[in-house]
Amino acid sequence: MGSPLSPGDKNLAVSPTLLNAAMLRWLDELSGQGVFITDTDLVVRGWNRWLERFTALTSANVIGRPLLQLFPDLAMRGLAAHYRAALSGEVSVLSHRLHGHLLRMPQSRKDGSSEFMPQSARIAPLIDDGQVVGTITVIDDVTERVTSELELRRQIADAERARLQAEEASRVKEEFLATLSHEIRTPLNAVIGWIKILRGRPVDAATLTRALEVIDRNATAQAVLIEDMLDMARIVSGKLRLDIGTVDPVAATLAAVDVVAPAAAAKGISLRTSISPGLPSIRGDAGRMQQIIWNVLANAVKFTPTGGVVHVRAEQQDASIVITVEDTGEGMAADFLPYIFDRFRQATSSVSRPQGGLGLGLALVRQLVEMQGGQVSASSPGLGLGSVFRIAFPAAISLPPMVEDDPGDVPPLADLIGIRVLVVDDDADARDLTATALAACGADVYVVASSDQALARLLDGTHPAPHLLIADLGMPGRNGFELIELVRKLDGDVARIPAVAVSGYARDQDRERARDAGFNQHLSKPITPAALVEAVLRAIGIESEKGDFRRD
Amino acid sequence: MDLSAAQQDALIELLNIGFGRAAASLSQLTGHRVVLEVPHVSIHPVAAVGSVLSEVIKGDIATVHQIFSGPVAGDALLILDHSAAGRLKQLLTDEPPLPLSVDASAREVLTEVGNILLNACLGTFGNILEVNVSFSLPHLNLETLRDLLESLLINREGLRYAMVVHAGFRLRDAEVMGYLVIVLSVASLDLLMRRIEAWEAR
Repeated sequence: MGSPLSPGDKNLAVSPTLLNAAMLRWLDELSGQGVFITDTDLVVRGWNRWLERFTALTSANVIGRPLLQLFPDLAMRGLAAHYRAALSGEVSVLSHRLHGHLLRMPQSRKDGSSEFMPQSARIAPLIDDGQVVGTITVIDDVTERVTSELELRRQIADAERARLQAEEASRVKEEFLATLSHEIRTPLNAVIGWIKILRGRPVDAATLTRALEVIDRNATAQAVLIEDMLDMARIVSGKLRLDIGTVDPVAATLAAVDVVAPAAAAKGISLRTSISPGLPSIRGDAGRMQQIIWNVLANAVKFTPTGGVVHVRAEQQDASIVITVEDTGEGMAADFLPYIFDRFRQATSSVSRPQGGLGLGLALVRQLVEMQGGQVSASSPGLGLGSVFRIAFPAAISLPPMVEDDPGDVPPLADLIGIRVLVVDDDADARDLTATALAACGADVYVVASSDQALARLLDGTHPAPHLLIADLGMPGRNGFELIELVRKLDGDVARIPAVAVSGYARDQDRERARDAGFNQHLSKPITPAALVEAVLRAIGIESEKGDFRRD
Repeated sequence: MDLSAAQQDALIELLNIGFGRAAASLSQLTGHRVVLEVPHVSIHPVAAVGSVLSEVIKGDIATVHQIFSGPVAGDALLILDHSAAGRLKQLLTDEPPLPLSVDASAREVLTEVGNILLNACLGTFGNILEVNVSFSLPHLNLETLRDLLESLLINREGLRYAMVVHAGFRLRDAEVMGYLVIVLSVASLDLLMRRIEAWEAR
């Protein structure tokens, strides 16, 4: 007889047992699971190809050997009990999550996620004719499942985190909008209210003074608020440009102190200044530097009660210039400190909170400080115990410091005596404000209401020519841009007259457009007398460097 | 079918032996002390089990189902509602629950827990009855209570009874309720009750 499977033979010769054995071999080849069987003494009697592949133990190595000797850790891990249970007819399920694995096999995936192949297993009795004759164990490699479940959990955690962040951002924005409308309305109410009173009936001088003081304070507060918002919008859109140069930290600090001094005095807060002599300069934008210090100081004054102390220090620490603002105010709770420089944040964030403000000031401070290479930090021993803000900038290469013998001294008011200024503004109030501020410094001011009147005055040979032109940009008829373009095309010295633009447009592109048109300086409304005088001095200075301007 | 007070006591005592064994296994497995209690057991015709269970189980359920055979044969089920299943899995593994439909690991853990409990109870019955009971592989199904009951009623002949056992898992200061349902033929139940009475009277 030949081989039972040789061609030409009838299959009749093949026994069912042989067919079964062949089928089992095929199933074994195909199997994606580990399968082994034992007899009732737990001696291994069968070991499939999958196990040979993943355990590196061939069936010749294991068949005939006791399972618990081959894998002694089964007994140590309490798993031998499942085999005893199987011998009494019970089936066991061993989950991956509670057991990790049944047989220790090397991890097939080399990603370091676990040392051993993650498995789940089932152990069952082999029953023949109602009698338990052995056990069968089926092992699944659950690497894929474990990996995908981990990934799923990670994705769910990420999504949850994103959701919480979005909710928080939306909550903060809603609060901000509520605060914004409140903050914009409050000063307006005061301004409008007092204006109605003043227009409605005659008032005595004391009331008038008080009314003007209230209007001034509220209008200024609103201008600051709008300026802060615009700055923040510029920062967010990456459009804030810094005019980097050499900044004298002493001058910046003193200028900021000057601005908050009235508010501190009005609240009965003692404002102390200590400045180390001989501080080197820093690199930065002088205006922004002052804004930074001013914001921190204003914040300290805002949160310090009557009778408190705000102490500002400027000193050198190693290679840094450090400006410290310390107050005896409300202080901050430790859990709020990490958020102190976040946008739109205040510790109490309802509209009824005691302190006004948008919560933008300190966020601006941080952005501006960091944009200029500095660092700002805040600390507080706790609620009610005051706060310390510390702003540090790297000192610039040592330059001779500005001599300031008495750091507490306020610089004298600029002297504009003998300067002839031509002011053009269609708005009478703005015109008056400009004229009054300049006249207070001794300037000789002539005002007109339109570009054409200004041109007429400039070309009028019967009067001494003005030294300086201050023009509003937005005017009916010929606007400020057109005016300066015409002036620059005139014949003679008048074409080179220093010119300052004043406008309600505060964006950087407006500034640039004014410069391109021919203005030397640009001031955004609302303007303060100090800023106006400074701009005048700068404009004249620029021109005098060109060599043909001098006071006569 | 009403149980006499003596039958009820004997059945609870016997179930508590099985539950004690299961609790010991779960404690060892998880490292947490697990206590399993049987506050209540009752027996009903299979057709009436739905109304009994729907009073205590709401919504979708997870069921660990094992068929046992031998001189006493039938179906054994551990039924948990989804929130109980999620909570039990979290208590046992310290992992926050995901929906069971996407969490194969959780389904496997619940299958193992159900298997331990069903083995312990039926194994205890087998010992009392002095018969060998053999088990099928346990399967975990996610379905509605109604679908489950329909599957128990379909294609089965003869009047059958269901023993409904309230199973309270207590671990880590929390309690999760599950329900053990053992469906038996009249003959199997009759044999079981007689053996239990004999055991009680020994």
